[in-house]
Amino acid sequence: MSDAPLLALEGVSKIYRRGLLDRTPAFRLDVDFRIDEPAIVGVMGPNGAGKTTLFEMIAGSNTPTQGRVMVAGHDMQQVRYRERDRLAIHYHQSYQVRRFSRTRPNFMLEPAGSAYPVVHLFDEPQFNTQDGYIGFMLDFFRRLRDERRLVFVCLHPTARLHLELLREICERFFFVGGGSVRPFADFGTIVADADVRRYLGALAD
Amino acid sequence: MALFEAHQLHLRFGDRVVLEDVSLAFEAGRLSGIMGPNGAGKTTCFNVLTGRYRPDRGRVMFDGADITGRSPQAIARLGIARSFQLMNLFDEFTVFENVAIALPQTRRRGADPIGQAYGDATVVEEAHELLDTVGLGARADHIAKALPYGERRALEIAVALASRPKLLFLDEPTAGLGSDGRARLAELVRRLKGQVTLVVIEHDMEFLFSLADTISVIHWGQVIARGSPDELRTNPWVKNSNLGKLA
Repeated sequence: MSDAPLLALEGVSKIYRRGLLDRTPAFRLDVDFRIDEPAIVGVMGPNGAGKTTLFEMIAGSNTPTQGRVMVAGHDMQQVRYRERDRLAIHYHQSYQVRRFSRTRPNFMLEPAGSAYPVVHLFDEPQFNTQDGYIGFMLDFFRRLRDERRLVFVCLHPTARLHLELLREICERFFFVGGGSVRPFADFGTIVADADVRRYLGALAD
Repeated sequence: MALFEAHQLHLRFGDRVVLEDVSLAFEAGRLSGIMGPNGAGKTTCFNVLTGRYRPDRGRVMFDGADITGRSPQAIARLGIARSFQLMNLFDEFTVFENVAIALPQTRRRGADPIGQAYGDATVVEEAHELLDTVGLGARADHIAKALPYGERRALEIAVALASRPKLLFLDEPTAGLGSDGRARLAELVRRLKGQVTLVVIEHDMEFLFSLADTISVIHWGQVIARGSPDELRTNPWVKNSNLGKLA
């Protein structure tokens, strides 16, 4: 693999407009960050704020309106559809890779150059305390990181357990809300933020 | 080399990755467990191992031979038997007949195999021996469909054993069983241990923790953890779950 950062979102915006005639934006998400080193990153934010849109853009199944998503030096939109999951894989609850809207023939696109995904996006994984699988899931996230992968865990905390899990497993955080994605260096700073506290409500106390 | 090995299996259905880089090894004479939450890919994995699906990449090896992509029938002939989540028995036949008809010497017969089975002393003896093994010795003359659920499961295992497999796969054997049935089945599986190589796919952690020599945990179509029950039990989340308190 090259010296390129594991993941870089360069001036990325996603805009959904009300309709073909009414071009007023109904949804807008602006995001710009880069991550050079392996990590486990927690993602929080209200429903509808764009957490899944963010994951889809990283996985290459949703095309940014502007900007580029670079995974290990590859522009995701330039990678062959069937090889995008060799760079970034999106797990929706148990397993799933989203359907790609194919706009260009594969021969115009590049190979992924990776056998096992570099970025792993866990979208609302089901954590059930009853059966003990959580421990294996957390260890798996750590193993991926130790094998130099980048792991995202997206949760919409509805119980104190979810916050405890994020605190235990994640080294850094993003808060998706108000049309942007804000980075936080650690658990302490994200739960101290006024917007995040409002979002968490009673869980913040 | 283990009796059965899977190397880096990969399988997609359309745009869904259902198995991602799965490697497994089942040692002869041991009981290997595969467990994972519902929808994790256990049954898909099972279907690749037993030949129902061909993996996109990766190899399946049995007894030193590459069996990747061979038909389920060809794999069965090599000495691999499987029992299913949904049972397939001859409902109108007796318990004895279900086992007798599955014995290799009966299967080779043409017309009226059952009629001949009653007249063949070795068939009668072997069938009863198998029924004793699974604890159904006293039920030989019952009609299969009249058996309670747990005993049907035991009968199905006897039918799978009738082919004298080198390796027996059990897919979710506790599915649909209550706690009594589960305990009886655990007892049966414990008796089989050492007599035949066993691979048990199971959602129920407690069942496998009490029986398996090694366990692979599958989730998101991948092996997310593996080890002996004692090793896996040291995980703090397993310890703190209801299961850990029982163990």
